Amino acid sequence: MRYSMQRYWFGDVMEDTCTRAEGDTAALADRVAALSTKMEGFVPLRWEQAVLCGTAPDRAGYLALLRQVTTLLAERKIRAWYGRGDALLIQKVRMLEDLDRAASLVAERFGEWDRVLHPGPAEEIREPAPRRALEGARGRAEGAQAAVIASVDGLAAARAALVEEVTTGAREILPNCTALVGGLVAARLLSAAGSLDAMARLPAASLQVLGARAALFAHLRTGSPPPKHGILYQHHRVHNAPRNRRGKVARTLAARLAIAARLDCYRGARDEEFLKRADEAVRRAGRGT
Amino acid sequence: MIWLDGVLVSPGSRSLHGERILRGHRVWDPYRSKLAALAHLGHEVDLPSSLRVLYLGAAHGTTVSHIADYVECVYAVEIAPRPMQDLLSLARQRENIVPVMGDATRPGEYAPFLERVDLIYQDVASPRQAEIAAAHRVFLEEGGTLILMVKTRSIDATADPDAVTRQVTGALASCYRVKAVVPLEPYHRDHRALVCEGVK
Repeated sequence: MRYSMQRYWFGDVMEDTCTRAEGDTAALADRVAALSTKMEGFVPLRWEQAVLCGTAPDRAGYLALLRQVTTLLAERKIRAWYGRGDALLIQKVRMLEDLDRAASLVAERFGEWDRVLHPGPAEEIREPAPRRALEGARGRAEGAQAAVIASVDGLAAARAALVEEVTTGAREILPNCTALVGGLVAARLLSAAGSLDAMARLPAASLQVLGARAALFAHLRTGSPPPKHGILYQHHRVHNAPRNRRGKVARTLAARLAIAARLDCYRGARDEEFLKRADEAVRRAGRGT
Repeated sequence: MIWLDGVLVSPGSRSLHGERILRGHRVWDPYRSKLAALAHLGHEVDLPSSLRVLYLGAAHGTTVSHIADYVECVYAVEIAPRPMQDLLSLARQRENIVPVMGDATRPGEYAPFLERVDLIYQDVASPRQAEIAAAHRVFLEEGGTLILMVKTRSIDATADPDAVTRQVTGALASCYRVKAVVPLEPYHRDHRALVCEGVK
């Protein structure tokens, strides 16, 4: 049997000769990153070959150097991954969602608390939303209650600033999707997909029900009616459409979104012609003609 | 594997993620680690100190750290950046962990780093788990073991886990012989451990 040359991180091995890869840790990492190893005919290295090569003195030295190289490569890949614009946008949307959850949780508890302090008549108890209880208590609240109101105000200010940044970021990173469904919804879809790259690979049917996981799996498992929309429901064209046409609007919108996501990922600029036709299609679906 | 009064542990006196320390040993929780679950279910895996391990799907490194307490070295492969950061800081504390950032469906990316190992442990959330195991066969020593934690929900979210497992077992047949199929209930739902040996 003929042996082909095998390329390893420390050098190239041909039968029992080894050509050492030169350079420091960074150079070794660069070299491996550039290798494209085919698995057919690949023979795994033996660490003794690295000693033969002169790269490492012994087993401990071998592992130590190997760890340096793989760690450096991993750190580089992590930096590259987090350097993408969509990674930052995704963190902002998720923070926005957490802020909303936190604010409503606090407001709700505040309402209960205030109810005990000021037990009003029955109709008033049912009527005002927790937020309104908070507004009502402003001015008369003191001590810890006043501090809670201040922190809810703080959350609201943070939210306003964040919405601004998310919308701006979405316009930049998802220009076509933003034009179709607005920055917030576009950014939420991106967050659910995980990355712009992943979003661009999603079929329209997945985009349509992104964010409706529970309903989707209930459908798959028990055969309950499939969800018509997930995050997309938040877009006004979908939730303002007549009930019997929401599914159609969501489906049409998702089909155009799938194209928009690909434009955003691979071209990165608005396509006015596409947006015009997409807008017409969604309108038509809403009218039901 | 070391048991102290019926509690599975690994040699190491410093707690890593808040696990209990029992007489100078780290408690190895079967609810957090599928390999520990497998041991609790009567299929203990031999982890002698000379062992070399390839770990696919290392995640945050919980199980990796316990295995590393026992063996000579662990090649820990993980693709996702966030868990990889945790894995890197774990590897900084332990000299016998080689952290490798790569996609297990593309072993060519990191093959130049790997040597042959005595144990391949695979726990990846991919629909192509059998294919991944087959592609790494070349890294298994003669007489070595593959432990494949089949995540049936990653292959088919609705199908019966046993049917999915049979499918995986069938797909492995050309390179591995499955010696045991162990459902990991009650520790982990919809997971099956396949204990395999390499076929020549």
